Amino acid sequence: MAMSFEWPLQPNVDTRQKQLAAWCSLVLSFCRLHKQSSMTVMEAQESPLFNNVKLQRKLPVESIQIVLEELRKKGNLEWLDKSKSSFLIMWRRPEEWGKLIYQWVSRSGQNNSVFTLYELTNGEDTEDEEFHGLDEATLLRALQALQQEHKAEIITVSDGRGVKFF
Amino acid sequence: MHRRGVGAGAIAKKKLAEAKYKERGTVLAEDQLAQMSKQLDMFKTNLEEFASKHKQEIRKNPEFRVQFQDMCATIGVDPLACVSHCARPEMTFRLPALWSRLTLFFSRSYPGKGFWSEMLGVGDFYYELGVQIIEVCLALKHRNGGLITLEELHQQVLKGRGKFAQDVSQDDLIRAIKKLKALGTGFGIIPVGGTYLIQSVPAELNMDHTVVLQLAEKNGYVTVSEIKASLKWETERARQVLEHLLKEGLAWLDLQAPGEAHYWLPALFTDLYSQEITAEEAREALP
Repeated sequence: MAMSFEWPLQPNVDTRQKQLAAWCSLVLSFCRLHKQSSMTVMEAQESPLFNNVKLQRKLPVESIQIVLEELRKKGNLEWLDKSKSSFLIMWRRPEEWGKLIYQWVSRSGQNNSVFTLYELTNGEDTEDEEFHGLDEATLLRALQALQQEHKAEIITVSDGRGVKFF
Repeated sequence: MHRRGVGAGAIAKKKLAEAKYKERGTVLAEDQLAQMSKQLDMFKTNLEEFASKHKQEIRKNPEFRVQFQDMCATIGVDPLACVSHCARPEMTFRLPALWSRLTLFFSRSYPGKGFWSEMLGVGDFYYELGVQIIEVCLALKHRNGGLITLEELHQQVLKGRGKFAQDVSQDDLIRAIKKLKALGTGFGIIPVGGTYLIQSVPAELNMDHTVVLQLAEKNGYVTVSEIKASLKWETERARQVLEHLLKEGLAWLDLQAPGEAHYWLPALFTDLYSQEITAEEAREALP
């Protein structure tokens, strides 16, 4: 198996699968912990996520690309530009967020209500919910997922965007 | 005419004597059989009493189990075998009736389930433990390639049993694994530096491989140089062993280590890093 010296992804295929899975999990945990919803590849390279100074190990950029591609395939990552230099990272997939939001809406009997995006993520009513404080980009994608299922519709309100739930 | 030993009379006398001895022999044998039977009945009663008194103890107390096993070994009984073997094989020939009575006594009417396991629940205990061991090894196989230290196995088994379950010792684990081995499940026990590595996936590990594993136990990793220095091997032999460990999924390759490539063995990790990071951190770090 050809192996360049810069290539710390494991040569054993089965082991490499485990390695990729571990990296994906680490990336998501890291971003969740540091409340980071987007990043550039340059940032990622230097961040403690892929550069562990104490251990003196870094994941080279080619391997980082492979990990990011894996995350994209799983639905946790979206490229924000064509040149793949920055990305949106969602430790929960948009569909999962959509489900949580819709569950809250139903539980609190607010189907057929309209909300601004701000209300959803920063309103008092949602303080105890997991999606409280969610970044707008991820929120939008979550609502788009719900829209696909005809459970919501994204609309324009006075000073921005909002959503109506069905 | 008095001549000794010859003549029809003498022969007849001899024959009579022989017959009388034979008869006597039979009587003696029957006597012995009767005595043995009585003793066996007494033994059986005592054993039943022992069983009911100590059944709980056996299931609950690992020290008691060790002593129990030792006692069984002394009298030549394997409580986990399908048919217990008495320590006197010559009895089979001298007193066939008694031997068959004994084997019947020990094997009961259920072939495959030992007398002891029925009486004392010992077999069930080790059987259940064997199943648990297999579950733990399967769950962690992706991480360590099917190789785990006895310590980690012990920790995981205790975790799985919960706070109120019966206490299990490392001795219990070894016994259960030996049984699993005998059943041909591919389990193996490899001694390393004072403890054991339990192999649950039948990876082909020969002497060369195991000795390198033992070398790696110190730091959790091993290098070609280290192998050459400690074992006095040629480079090629060292490389081949390491390639094999990589292939079997037991070793991970680290090309960023200072100097030369390090081959890490996840199976040996918990010993090392349990001292440095908390359990919570460990849980967070792994998928």
